[in-house]
Amino acid sequence: MRSNRLGWILLAPTMIILFLFGVVPFLYIIWLSFHQWNPAAVNPDIIFIGADNFRKLVFDPGFLASLGVTLAFVTFAVLSELVIGYLLAQAFMKDFPGKAFFRTIHTLPLIMAPIIVGSVWKLMTTPSIGIIPHFLDSWFGYELNIGQSAVAAFVVTVIMDIWHWTPLVTLTLIAALVSLPPDPFEQAQIDGAGKRQIFWHITLPMILPALMATVFIRLMDALRIVDEVLMLTGGGPGSATRFLGVHIFREVFPRTSYGYGSAVSLIVLYLTIVVCWLLYVSMLAPRNPKKD
Amino acid sequence: MKIALRFSASVLALALATGAVVAQDLPIENAEWWQEAGAQFDGVTLRGVTESTPPSNFISDVLAPKFEELTGIGVDIETTSWDQMYDKAIKDMEAQTGIYDMVYIEQDIIYFYLARDFLVDITAALNEKPELKAANFSEENFTTFADNFRGDNGDLFGIPMEAFIKIYLYRTDLFNDPDVQAAFEAQYGRPLAPATTHEEYTEIAEFFTQWGKDHDMDLWGTTAQAHTGHPASWYEFFESVAPTFGVYNWGIDAGNNYAASVENGGSMNSDTAKEALTWWLHLRDIAPPESVQSTWSETATTFAAGRVAQGLIYGENAAWIASDESQSKVVGNVGVALPPLSDGVMEAAESGEGYVGYYDGGAFGLPVTSGNQDAALLFLQFMALPEVQEAWAVAAPRITLTSTYDAPSVQALDAELGGYYSMLRDDGRLFKGAPPYPFHRQVIEATAPTFYQILTGDLSVDEGLDMMAAQAEEELSNLGYRQ
Repeated sequence: MRSNRLGWILLAPTMIILFLFGVVPFLYIIWLSFHQWNPAAVNPDIIFIGADNFRKLVFDPGFLASLGVTLAFVTFAVLSELVIGYLLAQAFMKDFPGKAFFRTIHTLPLIMAPIIVGSVWKLMTTPSIGIIPHFLDSWFGYELNIGQSAVAAFVVTVIMDIWHWTPLVTLTLIAALVSLPPDPFEQAQIDGAGKRQIFWHITLPMILPALMATVFIRLMDALRIVDEVLMLTGGGPGSATRFLGVHIFREVFPRTSYGYGSAVSLIVLYLTIVVCWLLYVSMLAPRNPKKD
Repeated sequence: MKIALRFSASVLALALATGAVVAQDLPIENAEWWQEAGAQFDGVTLRGVTESTPPSNFISDVLAPKFEELTGIGVDIETTSWDQMYDKAIKDMEAQTGIYDMVYIEQDIIYFYLARDFLVDITAALNEKPELKAANFSEENFTTFADNFRGDNGDLFGIPMEAFIKIYLYRTDLFNDPDVQAAFEAQYGRPLAPATTHEEYTEIAEFFTQWGKDHDMDLWGTTAQAHTGHPASWYEFFESVAPTFGVYNWGIDAGNNYAASVENGGSMNSDTAKEALTWWLHLRDIAPPESVQSTWSETATTFAAGRVAQGLIYGENAAWIASDESQSKVVGNVGVALPPLSDGVMEAAESGEGYVGYYDGGAFGLPVTSGNQDAALLFLQFMALPEVQEAWAVAAPRITLTSTYDAPSVQALDAELGGYYSMLRDDGRLFKGAPPYPFHRQVIEATAPTFYQILTGDLSVDEGLDMMAAQAEEELSNLGYRQ
């Protein structure tokens, strides 16, 4: 009993901070989402409007368009990061000259602030001065202009995200691969299993928990991407890269539509939880059946 | 180690010496009064937030240290991006946290701030506390641009610190080149000169874009602030292009229930607005390829890089484009002119019913939530002293006091800028700031996605402007302005 009390005392500061800066703002967002509040309105007061904000967003073409491009972005970016990250992790499991150097270099994007990543990619992709349009034009005769081509802008944002976050996937998968016991692989080889069979039936199932944890982290990050995209494209051209994070930013800050912005934020949170839950149920839960 | 120490000491000494030189450059009259006035605020540090621009940098780098040296009052000016500046200032005033003692007020946001009672009435505050009023400070000193920062009672709610007009900038080296002149005259049957009409401007733009192609030069005929995901493009069209066709105040008629659509009495989707947008989109198509990613900063950079023959450029960039060889390739080759106009626009501007372009600028205001209002009043007056204006106008092309036009170094710079300051003084009345709406960013955000779709070609000009007018009216209804 005494040790229990000591535990609570030691935990209290963390719990209080978590409550004040995590739970209270979250509750505030929920409360705001049921209100209309725009300080620029004739009536700048906070007015209760029930579920109107949620009803509005179901039919809001801007929100639905943002949702669509965000889901496409998340799918392409996260899948690519997983594949490339796994291949790099496998490469780093082997010895080759300069391995330590390359491993260090390849993690550098990870430590860059998103706003810097966006700035660097903007400089690299601006027509006339950017190195990427220059070489694409010189080598392939392709004129890259992400201010004009919606497809090009979307693809560049995906590549930028892959460049930024693949090292995270690589690092977590290296940790998972290093910790694998050698016995199952040796036995499989003795039994004549091929590389593909070993990957699908031994490696993948054994690194699945680490892989899924990485997927969850990347999913959550990708769903709320803002800084890099605002810097690179501003959400354009048109609405091609107006991802949900950018949409929320525009609604809440420039448009000062605090109530509606809160409702959109909640829906994005709900969407994130649902997607992660579906992935968990489909991939991990069957491996961990409940014990009666 | 010793070398490093000596080097550090040298750098420090150099920095101190430089600071001293800067401070000496601003001889302040009645220095004793400032010392006495500041003595009561011992230990106070004022905090301000502003957009990172040349005029703001002068405040943080020169005026703030000088004021601190005179009065002992610390001044911490945070210079940040345009979005961040608004975000921080509005949050602070809305939440009444009192972090900032001074906030930058761009001309177009003042009406929102006044509607929300965010700002201290500076005129009234100084009248109530005459002991804080500096002898050399007078509202009479300001140019008429200060009127943009007055409330309904005529009192000043912001101290103007920058003012520019968005001008038609052109390359004198190209316009005066005999080969170019001959080729232009042969093609169009008239001498090459800065355009006065939209048709002339188009011809010049097309000519130089073709000239660049024919001579394998990185040269195009015009700038275009046509970013496809940033409100800078929206601003360029509604504040700089549409007025030259006679579409004013964004096409919203405040006196007619804030109508935006033609059917309700507005002009956002009028035939004239559509003609203006079609014209501008054509210019965008013959502008440098980076134009679709250009905001106000990038158009200036494009011009300074010598990539265009002409363009509409914010005046705040004119000085460094025309005079700073470390940033500009067109130093000494810059001329200024009034924007090209449709018939009747100049007459409307002369009579005060219209305007020919955008008069941009900003002021420093004092939030009612500030805990250091008296000390901030001192700094705000300090910024408006006649004796600090000349150095400020040379460092950044802004003039807010009428007496500054006569300063010798300003007149010298005027010649270098192709007469920009003269135009600001003589023709500034023809330009106008943003319309007095307290809902600027709301209407822009409501309509900008559609505008970007027009720029990308996903929507036609007709369809897009019709949609924008409807969206503007819907937003104004939601906000309660339109009944």
